[in-house]
Amino acid sequence: MGQVLVFGLISGGIYGLFALGVVMVFRGTGVLSFAQGEIGTAALYVAAYLINDQGLPWVVGALGALVFGIGVGVLFELLVVRRMIGADPVSTAVATVGLLLLITTIEIQYAGSTLISVRGPISQHFAVFGVEVTGTQVLGVLLALALGFGLQSLLRRTDFGLGILAAAQDPTAVRLVGVPLSRVSATVWGAGAALSVIAALLVEPGIGVFAPGFASQLYLVGLAAAVIGGLTSLPGAVIGGLALGLVEAAANKWFGQSGVHGLRYVVVLIVLLVVLVGRQLLPELRARFDTRAEAVA
Amino acid sequence: MSTPLLQILDVTAGFGATTVLHGVSIDVPEGSIAGIFGLNGAGKSVTLKTVAGVVPARSGQVLLDGEDITRWGPEKRVARGMGHIPQGRQVFPELTVEENLRLGAYTLRRRDRSRYAASLDAVYDRFPVLRERRSQLAGTMSGGQQASLCVGRALINQPRLVLVDEPSAGLSPVAALELREVLRDVAATGVTMVLVEQNIAFGLSLVDTAHLMQTGTVVHSSPVGDLDDATLATHLGIGSVLGAATSRMLSSRATPEPPKKGKPRVRRTA
Amino acid sequence: MRRAPWILVALIAAIVLPPLIGRSALLSDTNALLLCRGCVMALAGLSLNLLMGYAGQVSLGQFAFVGVGAFTLAHVTGVTDLRLPWVVGMLASAALGAVVAFLVGLPALRLRGLYLAIVTIGVVYACSESLFIAQGIGGGSAGKVVPPPYVAADAISRNCDLLAVGLVLLVVMWHLDTNLTRSRLGRAFHAVKADERVAASFGIDVASYKLLAFVLSGAVAGLAGGFFGTTIGTVQAASFTYADSLGLVVIVVVGGLGSRPGVVGVAFGTTVLPSLLVTLFGSGIRGYDLIFNAAVLVYTITRNPTGIAGAIREARTKALERRGGEPPLPPTRPNLPSLGRPSALPAPRRAAAGQPVLAVRDIGVRFGGLRAVDGASITVDRGTIVGLMGPNGAGKTTLFNAITGALRPDSGTVTFLGEDVSHLPTHLRAARGMGRTFQLIGLAKDQSVYENLLIAQHLAAPYSVGSALSGLGASRALEREIRSRADQTIEGLGFERFASTPVGKLSHGQQRIVEIGCCLVTSPELVMLDEPSAGMSPAASEDLALTLQDVRDKLGRTVLLIEHNVPLVLGVADELYVMAAGEVIANGEPLDVVTRPEVVTAYLGSSYEEALK
Repeated sequence: MGQVLVFGLISGGIYGLFALGVVMVFRGTGVLSFAQGEIGTAALYVAAYLINDQGLPWVVGALGALVFGIGVGVLFELLVVRRMIGADPVSTAVATVGLLLLITTIEIQYAGSTLISVRGPISQHFAVFGVEVTGTQVLGVLLALALGFGLQSLLRRTDFGLGILAAAQDPTAVRLVGVPLSRVSATVWGAGAALSVIAALLVEPGIGVFAPGFASQLYLVGLAAAVIGGLTSLPGAVIGGLALGLVEAAANKWFGQSGVHGLRYVVVLIVLLVVLVGRQLLPELRARFDTRAEAVA
Repeated sequence: MSTPLLQILDVTAGFGATTVLHGVSIDVPEGSIAGIFGLNGAGKSVTLKTVAGVVPARSGQVLLDGEDITRWGPEKRVARGMGHIPQGRQVFPELTVEENLRLGAYTLRRRDRSRYAASLDAVYDRFPVLRERRSQLAGTMSGGQQASLCVGRALINQPRLVLVDEPSAGLSPVAALELREVLRDVAATGVTMVLVEQNIAFGLSLVDTAHLMQTGTVVHSSPVGDLDDATLATHLGIGSVLGAATSRMLSSRATPEPPKKGKPRVRRTA
Repeated sequence: MRRAPWILVALIAAIVLPPLIGRSALLSDTNALLLCRGCVMALAGLSLNLLMGYAGQVSLGQFAFVGVGAFTLAHVTGVTDLRLPWVVGMLASAALGAVVAFLVGLPALRLRGLYLAIVTIGVVYACSESLFIAQGIGGGSAGKVVPPPYVAADAISRNCDLLAVGLVLLVVMWHLDTNLTRSRLGRAFHAVKADERVAASFGIDVASYKLLAFVLSGAVAGLAGGFFGTTIGTVQAASFTYADSLGLVVIVVVGGLGSRPGVVGVAFGTTVLPSLLVTLFGSGIRGYDLIFNAAVLVYTITRNPTGIAGAIREARTKALERRGGEPPLPPTRPNLPSLGRPSALPAPRRAAAGQPVLAVRDIGVRFGGLRAVDGASITVDRGTIVGLMGPNGAGKTTLFNAITGALRPDSGTVTFLGEDVSHLPTHLRAARGMGRTFQLIGLAKDQSVYENLLIAQHLAAPYSVGSALSGLGASRALEREIRSRADQTIEGLGFERFASTPVGKLSHGQQRIVEIGCCLVTSPELVMLDEPSAGMSPAASEDLALTLQDVRDKLGRTVLLIEHNVPLVLGVADELYVMAAGEVIANGEPLDVVTRPEVVTAYLGSSYEEALK
């Protein structure tokens, strides 16, 4: 049980961080991005170059990765998203698919499918519930929780942050109080990319190796987590991520031995379908129940 | 005569293949309330949106205090003294009352943060209910309170020109009348207003000048006092039959409100 | 069939040419295999095009269905499995692909756009990472072996011969896809994509057509997978991934959503290009084509969402326009053709003499706490024009929606031609002779005037899916009938020059006329118009008044009309209802109604002074 909890929270925290990025972008600009995760992988290559090849300290490498990731996010907003204002959300989402492919193919060209590894920031080990965990893993969970429940109040402190929160509710009204919407948009794309980079830097699945497409796989679980959390709620995103992590860990424990491959994806798909269809059906059922109750009364 | 604060010069605008405004021209002198009236689809709201910068003008010009702002985004117009009281209750429901006001003062706070406290106090003095509920989520307030918040959010930025979209829409008669008093008070402090209103009778009781629109053009402009009943009916495009009935109703009802033309409302500009 | 010779020529060429060229050493074995891969991508591209390009349903996991097809073929034909003939295996591939797509499509009835896209990603991951790897399904890490097809006792194993098989499949699918787009199915998909509400108002059962799109798409994808397995010999889970699915999205979007030649062309192009580049520039170039493709996708979707096909079409239209100059305006007063009831539709019920065409009783609609319509009752007599006026937010359009079935009222009944239709869905009410237009023009904007007139006759051409795909049977006569009706209507409207113009490019007033044409083309008993004069110039509204009178007097139809334009209503209406705040506040003789004080107040509002007293 303790094992499920620990493993679940560790991977759930990472999913949560990715999910936060999804929510930031969706709230700020109403776009669902499929590319953000892969920005994380690309940034890992930057970090690997700085840390492994140039021998720079981890912090410097991480900062470099962060700056790179934010740059890609903001550039995509400037060059593509901004030109698609008013396009239907599906088209913009397909544009992010293009970015995803672009990043992935460039990575493959650059690194091939060679596995590369970047060490985590904290290498100390702890035992939690009899499970060996690293400081990096703990940091991931704590950061996800802190951002999930603190980011909102952090944003509320500044006028611009308020503008970001309000933009999700009504973009036109935000412009009409004088908040520059284009800056809100660039900021959330940068922030979304930054969250992906942070998540990618903190993944330590025991080995810490990655290849092109690596962060995208985790990001997609984050995407599902964000959807489960309601797509607009920051705490919801983290809770969704942790929930998926826990369910996945539990499934691994109970079915892991039976030789089922890729359990993660089956679990995510099932949970996603149950939540989505359930959310659609619930109000209907409730309405039907209400009318029946009315008819009885 | 000084230049009008707002000049709309022969503006055309529309969406896609559709042109909604076919050359609209309206002058709004500083310190006055201008009303734009018309039936559904006449182009009132689009005119207001073009002034706000939300709908781009395809041709023509919009001048604010003599300066051509036609190509400016809405944000820049707000920074230069334009304020908005949007239709219905478009407050930010998930922010608190005070956060709504703080966002309303976005450009003021960027210009000169020290003026914010006084401006906030002034809004709270005008609407004590907002002070009481400063930390309540705006979406949980009543319709009338949200309307007050909308006005407060516009005023806190100390605008020179306020665009008011359908003030009476969705409000109870009592709340609508309260809002009218507030708008009158605001106008008395020298703020210029442009108002669009579906409820023509209500709108006429508030404005100084009426601009009547039909199918995308202004067909008649005159001070409210000079407005001939028959002209009103004809130019609203409601035909002579309904028009005649309207005349009768308006004349039997127009008495309680003294004509506002005499009020010394025009502020001297430096 | 006019197209039959073309298809025969193509089929013979597909069968004969590859083996000949292959044996003459003009086509190497490797290149033949490459072209086989091109066939796979083209088939898979057509399957995604059907879903995304026609029906507007996003799938980012199309290779899940391709994989289902490939593994099905392996199981059905495999030497250690069922050992059935290849043809049976391919049919099974298509069938299972269709079944799986159907299951994925079920949530699609509930989910829109992006949610659906996320679910399809989940499906392709669950397939490629789990299902296809499972021992029992995908044969574990070794994969599954697919035996080659046999002709008599000879295995077709040379790549050039397999290419012939692939090309035959492609030609057949191309043909079926062509038939599809020219039938009610393709039109219904387009309408669903453009606007589900509009589609429903034309009598299209949106849910069924969405599912049908998934089923057909899954079947084509299954075939693509089967053929892929045949060419590759051993199928493994790694061939059916998310990344492959996204590559397919590139093909369909860059080729041009909905464009058959574009999609097939780009499918072959992106498959052949890499090795072509390598031959030309050496192996250092390898991989850059993928980066290029991705960049083209981003560019296409940002700048030119219609893809290559769209760019070509646009250039052609521009050239035509340059040659033809400004098209003349259509006549202002259309000469409406008097069309009979379509043969496939039931003759309208003859309501008993004196019985109203439409009787609406006590309709109530609540949105949350708001009573949008509150106990409204309306009666419309045969051969009359009835006006419905009222200020913004009075509930007129909501009442319309309740009458046509676009929304379920909380209370009240709708009786149409003496029959209680309160519980019928929109498309069945439409089939009984209820036609309507929308406040915001209810047409498929990206489709031509002619196509819209055909979409509008969806219910008048009730032939089967099989007949539609084969182009045989009932579809031929019915298509001929509705096409002739569409032609007559276009002629009557005076829109010949605009027949192939996308409706969205017409002016607002012209769109209104087309919409009314679409409403009349099925000869409905009752014509319901929602603010037809909105956005029209005063002169155009006067012409509209004459047109409405023609509808009543020349065509003998009954009209229910929401209208703000008071002079227009007073000019044409035989009876007038006025609504305010969800209630019918007055009805009767138009000239009498508009002078009543409550109507004037409703229209001009009140200054609320009375409220204080």
